[in-house]
Amino acid sequence: MTQAEIKLCSLLLQEHFGEIVEKIGVHLIRTGSQPLRAIAHDTGTSLDQVKKALCVLIQHNLVIYQVHKRGVVEYEAQCSRVLRMLRYPRYIYTAKTLYSDTGELIVEELLLNGKMTMSAVVKKVADRLTETMEDGKTMDYAEVSNTFVRLADTHFVQRCPWVPATENSDPGPPPPAPILVISEKDMYLVPKLSLIGKGKRRRSSDEDAAGEPKAKRPKHSTDNKEPIPDDGIYWQANLDRFHQHFRDQAIVSAVANRMDQTSSEIVRTMLRMSEITTPSTAPFTQPLSSNEIFRSLPVGYNISKQVLDQYLTLLADDPLEFVGKSGDSGGGMYVINLHKALGSLATATLESVVQERFGSRCARIFRLVLQKKHLEQKQVEDFAMIPAKEAKDMLYKMLSGNFISLQEIPKTPDHAPSRTFYLYTVNILSAARMLLHRCYKSIANLIERRQFETKENKRLLEKSQRVEAIIASMQATGAEEAQLQEIEEMITAPERQQLETLKRNVNKLDASEIQVDETIFLLESYIESTMKRQ
Amino acid sequence: MAGNKGRGRAAYTFNIEAVGFGRGEKLPDVALKPPPLFPDTDYKPVPLKAGEGEDYMLALKQELRETMKRMPYYMETPEEKQDIERYSKRYMKVYKEEWIPDWRRLPREMMPRKKCRKAGPKSEKAKDTGKGASLANTADVLKKIEELEKRGDGEKSDEENEEKEGSKEKSKEGDEEEDDDAAEQEEYDEEEQEEENDYINSYFEDGDDFGADSDDNMDEATY
Repeated sequence: MTQAEIKLCSLLLQEHFGEIVEKIGVHLIRTGSQPLRAIAHDTGTSLDQVKKALCVLIQHNLVIYQVHKRGVVEYEAQCSRVLRMLRYPRYIYTAKTLYSDTGELIVEELLLNGKMTMSAVVKKVADRLTETMEDGKTMDYAEVSNTFVRLADTHFVQRCPWVPATENSDPGPPPPAPILVISEKDMYLVPKLSLIGKGKRRRSSDEDAAGEPKAKRPKHSTDNKEPIPDDGIYWQANLDRFHQHFRDQAIVSAVANRMDQTSSEIVRTMLRMSEITTPSTAPFTQPLSSNEIFRSLPVGYNISKQVLDQYLTLLADDPLEFVGKSGDSGGGMYVINLHKALGSLATATLESVVQERFGSRCARIFRLVLQKKHLEQKQVEDFAMIPAKEAKDMLYKMLSGNFISLQEIPKTPDHAPSRTFYLYTVNILSAARMLLHRCYKSIANLIERRQFETKENKRLLEKSQRVEAIIASMQATGAEEAQLQEIEEMITAPERQQLETLKRNVNKLDASEIQVDETIFLLESYIESTMKRQ
Repeated sequence: MAGNKGRGRAAYTFNIEAVGFGRGEKLPDVALKPPPLFPDTDYKPVPLKAGEGEDYMLALKQELRETMKRMPYYMETPEEKQDIERYSKRYMKVYKEEWIPDWRRLPREMMPRKKCRKAGPKSEKAKDTGKGASLANTADVLKKIEELEKRGDGEKSDEENEEKEGSKEKSKEGDEEEDDDAAEQEEYDEEEQEEENDYINSYFEDGDDFGADSDDNMDEATY
């Protein structure tokens, strides 16, 4: 764990769960797994607070525990999982695009609560949807649970490891911690629930208390006492599945940019066909014959089999090798080279970073070295057609920025500089690591800046909130226009301007956080897939 | 090479020209301070991506941040008391719904002990005995006070009495560490005492280590 990552974790934990949880979480990240007493002692926090903080962290899947010898339970933080909190808005947005508002709220609730039972999610989401609907309309539980089932079928949500039912005949004291089990088979198995009912509004309960609810209400109170049918079966958002979706989308849009819409649609079809059959970490998708692809193309797409074959050959011939040909049977078998694709995307990211930081001529040198693998300084000057002095300057700048590395090859064993080749090369993996580290740092900086901005204007923000609250309450009681205006004028023009500026700055900082995280995602996926292959 | 050295030029083990410095050219200065915190960039950053999706995600992010603060998982630090209690503060308190973790999924030590007490069938009995004891205790102390008033100068004997009580408390604590069940009972005892006897205990406080002990008891009870 690098310092930059720890710093970012600390900021994220603090922002989401408060300072006590942050203290405990960061302590665990720094020291590795620790027993409860040691945490309390080392952080100087009361045992009670440590317990509560650990409960919160475990609830949100940020900390796991393990029973060690002699029954000591040790707690371990999941640092990379903490960093995923940055991506929450993107997960929620993806759920919205795929499964509309219901899906959005389901994923949002799961992320907000860490883990929930299906019945709790369905109830909460139905209530929330009902509240946004027009009067008189309600959301049916069945509809929400349908969306939930679809999310589970496509693996976007999964079951948490569960506590196996124990027989009570088991003699001796119970274990100090439950042992959670998980089985592949049941991961996405939705419990059979008969959730009947409708979302309720918080306020309007008095309104529709006409005749029917009277009979309903006592029923409900008994409902609560009954054991919940899916008690103990908790669900969480499957972040890996979301990452797979992000990756596929990145590949599709890369193909669209490189070739055209039709080819991207073909690649999208291929990816969709292998979504469930290919594990998310596999370097290739399962081979698909061109006939299969043809049959699976979306209905509205009118391209003939011949055109499809031409496209596939074109894609397979592309130097980027997103699509590869793995055989000739069945009209040609095609795979998508996920590893290569991630590599190309990471390289493109590096190239564009060099271009934006050092200018287009540096980018030319960078691409040249990337393409020719190893080059001497003289060769770089010649090939890039840039005057020697400038080329040297640029090379050294990129070298000191760790985008380019230097490889010495001595002719004699004494490593004398005059008898040594100095070859410039780009090590994509280490450059990607360096850039990733920088990304973490920049996000931490962005968050700190945002907190600083809001802190500076705390008084002003509180004032505007208060004024807004007053206006809202007056509007509710039906105040006159003049009165409202008077209150609105409590915030002076310069103050208003200051608020505007603050809002613009905070928005920009927030948007940057989200977009830097996109780069983080690409680089991480690339590094992960490269490490798997080694 | 040797000539180079002779002319007073810094001695390098390699040919400087290979790195790009011509003959007689001045070498750059040595940097003696860290680079600036906010260096000038040669190129301005490109504008952020903008679009419907980005805007929506931005709104989601800000909303999520606010919602997180209102969730029961957000642990507030006890803030220090301000000199002036603000009227507005009373209305800023956010309503949080309660959260009861699923204890089946958590290690046993996570459970606050308060919960055990409620669950224990003994608790009722404990309460009774505790109350009886504490009542007797109060009566005791009251009697003592009366005596005190009568005598007026019985400082010494009183101190002795107190010490006795102190040692009693201590022995109780010893029990507490020994086993859980007893601890539950004792805890209850102490809580009762604290409620009823706290004032008197501190009244007779005479500055030995008994004071520290009673502090400990407080912690246990609130926990």
